[in-house]
Amino acid sequence: MEIISGLLNGFAVALEPANLMWCFVGVFLGTVVGILPGLGPPATIAMLLPLTFKMNPAGAIIMLAGIYYGAKYGGSTTSILMNVPGESASVVTCIDGYQMARKGRAGAALGIAAIASFIAGTVGVLGLMLVAPPVAKLALSFSSPEYFALMSLGLALVVLLAGRSIVKALLAALFGLWIASMGTDPFSTTSRFTFGQMEMLSGIDFIVVAIGVFALGEVLANMETHEETQLLPVPKGLKNLLPTLQDLKDCRFAFLNGSVVGFLVGALPGGGSTIASFLSYGLEKAVSRRREEFGTGVIEGVAAPEGANNSETGGALVPLLTLGIPGSGTTAILLAALVLWGFKPGPLFIPENPALFWGLVASMYVGNVILLVLNLPLVPLFAQVLRLPAYVLYPLILGVSLVGVYSVSGSLFDLGLLAAFGLLGYLMRKLDYPTAPLILGLALGAGMERALRQSLMMSGGELSILVARPISAVMLSLAVLVLLVPVFGKLNAWRLRALEG
Amino acid sequence: MKLLLNSIALLAFLCAPPSFAQSYKPARTVDLVVHTGPGGGSDVLARAIAVMVEKEKLLPVRLQVVNKPGGNGAVAAAHLAEKRGDPNTLGLFTGVWLQTPLVSVEAKVTLRDLTPIARLVLEPAVIAVKADSPFKTLGDFIEAAKKNPGRLKQSGGSNTSRDNVVRQLLQKSTGARWAFISFPGGGERIAALLGGHVDMMVIEPEEAGEHIRAGTMRVLAQVSAKRLAKFPDVPTLREAGFDVPVVPQVRGVVAPPGIPKENVEFWQDLFLKLTRTPSWQKYIADNQFEDGYQNAADLTKFYEEFTGRMREIFKDAGVTIVR
Amino acid sequence: MKTRNSGDLWSGLALAALGLYIIVQAWQWEYLSPEGPGAGFFPLWYGIAMLALSAALVVSSQRGRSAGEKPVDWKRVGRAFSTWFALAVSIALFKPLGFVLSFALLTYFIVAVMYRRPLKTAALVAVASAGGFFLVFQLALDVPLPLGVLGF
Repeated sequence: MEIISGLLNGFAVALEPANLMWCFVGVFLGTVVGILPGLGPPATIAMLLPLTFKMNPAGAIIMLAGIYYGAKYGGSTTSILMNVPGESASVVTCIDGYQMARKGRAGAALGIAAIASFIAGTVGVLGLMLVAPPVAKLALSFSSPEYFALMSLGLALVVLLAGRSIVKALLAALFGLWIASMGTDPFSTTSRFTFGQMEMLSGIDFIVVAIGVFALGEVLANMETHEETQLLPVPKGLKNLLPTLQDLKDCRFAFLNGSVVGFLVGALPGGGSTIASFLSYGLEKAVSRRREEFGTGVIEGVAAPEGANNSETGGALVPLLTLGIPGSGTTAILLAALVLWGFKPGPLFIPENPALFWGLVASMYVGNVILLVLNLPLVPLFAQVLRLPAYVLYPLILGVSLVGVYSVSGSLFDLGLLAAFGLLGYLMRKLDYPTAPLILGLALGAGMERALRQSLMMSGGELSILVARPISAVMLSLAVLVLLVPVFGKLNAWRLRALEG
Repeated sequence: MKLLLNSIALLAFLCAPPSFAQSYKPARTVDLVVHTGPGGGSDVLARAIAVMVEKEKLLPVRLQVVNKPGGNGAVAAAHLAEKRGDPNTLGLFTGVWLQTPLVSVEAKVTLRDLTPIARLVLEPAVIAVKADSPFKTLGDFIEAAKKNPGRLKQSGGSNTSRDNVVRQLLQKSTGARWAFISFPGGGERIAALLGGHVDMMVIEPEEAGEHIRAGTMRVLAQVSAKRLAKFPDVPTLREAGFDVPVVPQVRGVVAPPGIPKENVEFWQDLFLKLTRTPSWQKYIADNQFEDGYQNAADLTKFYEEFTGRMREIFKDAGVTIVR
Repeated sequence: MKTRNSGDLWSGLALAALGLYIIVQAWQWEYLSPEGPGAGFFPLWYGIAMLALSAALVVSSQRGRSAGEKPVDWKRVGRAFSTWFALAVSIALFKPLGFVLSFALLTYFIVAVMYRRPLKTAALVAVASAGGFFLVFQLALDVPLPLGVLGF
């Protein structure tokens, strides 16, 4: 009952002309920021903070939140069109999204990304509104053993991402683990694999590797030939400019998957949108009838991760608003913003500031609608980028990658790393190593090691802690099962061959 | 003759150098370099300083925050070292800048290589437990730790963070032992405590404030020289009977090496003025910082003493010292 | 029928060497400390896994017929490498020359040399895209680009 009255009051706040305008400004800026690789919501929000002092707090938080989830809409654009991840969370979208573009279905991919983002984003807000307190409590019961199990499950998905050679996929993942451990080990303050460079003390930025391996690797591979045969087919006909009804039907589970996985993972203080999108993608692949086709341009492979990284924003706001605990880089800035405006985020925040909370929630519904209306018509427009001749498009991709990486850290060293990983991406393509497992290993590696060491510290050295706790036991069993899926597949194939021969 | 002498006097007067104290004023935007990304602790403080400087009209130009994250502070420090002689760049240093060179070979720039300007704040901390914890005082916790060595757990940052430093000092002085679990993010540390996965943590008073008000956390003691205004009933470490030095988290201002004396004086003067303004006083009180102002000379002394102490503590903690 | 794969052989050997390097490094760090697993724990294990898997790869690469392996088209690889080299040089030039000039040079190289377009087209594309980046990012969005000695 109070939810309804709260929500109605919230809409009253969100639909005030000034706040509506701030919502629009926020989501628009967010989309632009999301499209540009590298530049992300944290930096943008930080830049706008001084301006927000002159605004009313409701309008300010509505705008900043708009930037946060708006960026998730825009992030898929360069991922699909250029294989350049617009955001860390959009890395997974590159896998099938770019392949769809290569097949001439860029429009459908962009469209389904927008639709999945809308559905999952709305579900995320629903979750924030309805189940925030119990989800927050559940999230608190999650600790290092559960994180380790969750990440093991994620890493087991490597096997599913394997493609033809499981050995090569595993090697790529191990390489990713190696990159993840470069830097200063926080537990012992030992420098690992820093090669004497001080810039390496804090490790290598995920986005540098992702853009290097995916985008630059792709550009270099395309440089092998100067023929401009079928570069990237421009989508012809309305069928390929937007998702078809069949596409929407195919993505039914993906919408659900993305919404739920993203929200739950987002609510974990240690979770993030990259992990959420990988898990969602893996889950989709595991249950899909056409799982072998994943990686070649399957539309569910775009819908699931794109949905996940949107509902993750709703999820990440759960610990922020119910407990005052930030779960990710952007929520940390939002926390700082709230504090700067004089609020005190914590367990008493929502009860003491109902107008602000409900205004924000209502604005997120409105914002998601605005974003859908904004993004869908732009899809055919964006798809026209592919009309550019190769000799314009590829230098453009290089430029966007360089600027994107530089905008994150302002470091020429990172640009050098970018070039190195570009070369690695090219070599991997030539030598037939799948690139997705490397990115997965990198994304999960640091977290996994930390979670394992934390768990062993908590249990005083007993590995049994991982199976003694119910949640982590369940997830580890799932991981084992996932690992066994291809084994069963192979056993079945042998059995059939034996029966024949 | 008189005309000649007068001309010489007039010439001398016209050629006299202007009074230095008035002469230097920054002509373009001043960069304030921080070692965190947007939203990090130093970034937030730097932005607040920029706002206050503008509000109190202390500078004719804008103060701009420049993020140079990476290398655990080494990148920001190196950036400042590279800006040798540039009076329009400043850095907001924290304890991390002082510690990283001690333990990482790759971090070559220490505070000795830069120009100290001022120390600004000391950040106290409190020792907190979950509300339903059986420990009512820090003494209870220490006793329990003595009875079950290594079984109790504390969540905190890296093993060179202040959280662990407090633990090392307490362990050394009482003989108790308990485990320390590193979590990279503040949010995760708090979640670990509230979820009951660890028994205690050292936390900034502002961060703990809301949880205490909501009744989910309790404070056993405070890590500061005297009691904080918002925690009048909580004993300091010394009052609780633990004779350990209070190791503060510091933040202050440095400048690149090789800048002229007049610039150093200007900046010193500016930050002294800043700490006397009402905005600053309010900011410190709101955030529960201690006014730790020290001028450049005292800061230099503090630096030597602090790093000396840290070397000892880290050695005890088993961390390899490289400088 | 499976054929030999020299790509697998060489990459497998390289990864085996990397695995060995990782193990040697990890050995120097603490494996198990009183506080829990040390810095060397995880790297040791994934180093061993890398060594084992790459050894398996090397072995499997040598199985199968030796004939029938597709030869490498070194010309194509050379083109990719020259582009990469141009990119690396361009990045190295960011500090002295700044983004705009270096990127324009890179674009010119790609269009004129890699794609063999007429020089005028190359110059046009180079100037337009470098200038475009400067206008959109440095000026309009206030996103800093590497600035060279000349200030842009």
